[in-house]
Amino acid sequence: MREMNTRYQPYVTLLARLLLGGVLLVAGGLKVTKPTDSANAVAAYKLLPTNVAHLFGYALPWLEVALAVLLIVGILIRPAALIGGFIMVVFTAAIASAWARGLLIDCGCFGGGGEIDPSLAAQVHRTYFIEIMRDLGLALAALYLYFFPYGKLSIEKAAPSTKE
Amino acid sequence: MAKQQAKSGDNITRWIVIAMVSLVVVTGVVFSMVSQSSKENASIAALDGTKLQPAISSSIDVKNGSAIVLNPGMTKVIDIWEDPQCPVCKNFEDAIGGYVDSLIREKKATVRFHVLSFLGDESVRAANASFCAADEGQYLDFHHALYVVQSPLENSGFWSNDKLISIGKKIGLKSKKFEDCVTKESKIDLVKANYESMSKFGVQGTPTIFINGKLWERTSNSFDVGEFSTAVEAG
Repeated sequence: MREMNTRYQPYVTLLARLLLGGVLLVAGGLKVTKPTDSANAVAAYKLLPTNVAHLFGYALPWLEVALAVLLIVGILIRPAALIGGFIMVVFTAAIASAWARGLLIDCGCFGGGGEIDPSLAAQVHRTYFIEIMRDLGLALAALYLYFFPYGKLSIEKAAPSTKE
Repeated sequence: MAKQQAKSGDNITRWIVIAMVSLVVVTGVVFSMVSQSSKENASIAALDGTKLQPAISSSIDVKNGSAIVLNPGMTKVIDIWEDPQCPVCKNFEDAIGGYVDSLIREKKATVRFHVLSFLGDESVRAANASFCAADEGQYLDFHHALYVVQSPLENSGFWSNDKLISIGKKIGLKSKKFEDCVTKESKIDLVKANYESMSKFGVQGTPTIFINGKLWERTSNSFDVGEFSTAVEAG
């Protein structure tokens, strides 16, 4: 088992970096040009005071793009994965809380956001479930990167001859 | 499971990268904030040259959710439920507002405006100011002006009472009475009564429109004045 991990780890690490980095790049990139929508989307969760929510909404797309670039090219992988994993856990908690409080909102994950017509309730609940599963999956990828940050096609490399 | 070790000695590079990333994020936030607030302030300039229309007296229909009623007692009755901050209500106003105005000015229909405020504090303040404008007989003017300047960011801090007064001044609502009414939020009971009547009338979102008590549901993707006027004429 350990042998298999040693053999495939550099490729799994690359895959995890591209997966987490790719999703963050798309999510951040789509929102970066529409900061107002992003600010509204965060406020729609009704978890933070409005002006704090707006600040968070403005910062989020840029943070996502920055983390994505670091993960894809392979710089500061461990801190980037740590923050990336942390925000995925935060998103999961936020969506779960919106669901539990009976809010009907678009998560605003890839742009858009805000309240949704009550007639679409069933559909929204299914979407919440898929979003939570997706974000947890990405958090797992981040966790893997925390333990095995160095792999193929990476600027940062592991130091030679470390003890396993 | 041993953690992978990084090469040592690149600590300075590490901090430079962290600093650059933070700089990008902070610059992005500042840029977004500045551009938002300058857009909002520029939007008020769009009201330049607006002339106050002839006053139309209005009343409050307590039995119908304390709505603002224009032209009471006609055979055709239109109920419009809106929140001043709701972006889709702005779309409705942009497409169909002119037609609704003409129905009122040409005395073709009774129109009841239910001014809601479920989108937050700025809706409450804007709703209060709308009732103040109605007292002056200028509800339609103020209603239109609010949608012209509506911020795409809800509760951004834009619609303070001072700003609502200056929006009023721009369109010719200059009386001391209007100013006091906005500052003191004198109409807050009506604002609450409108909000609380939503459940009684089965209104869950905005804009919601009833034509002679029947819910109007659009079939086209965007608001179409032809579709709406056909529905109004059919009653």
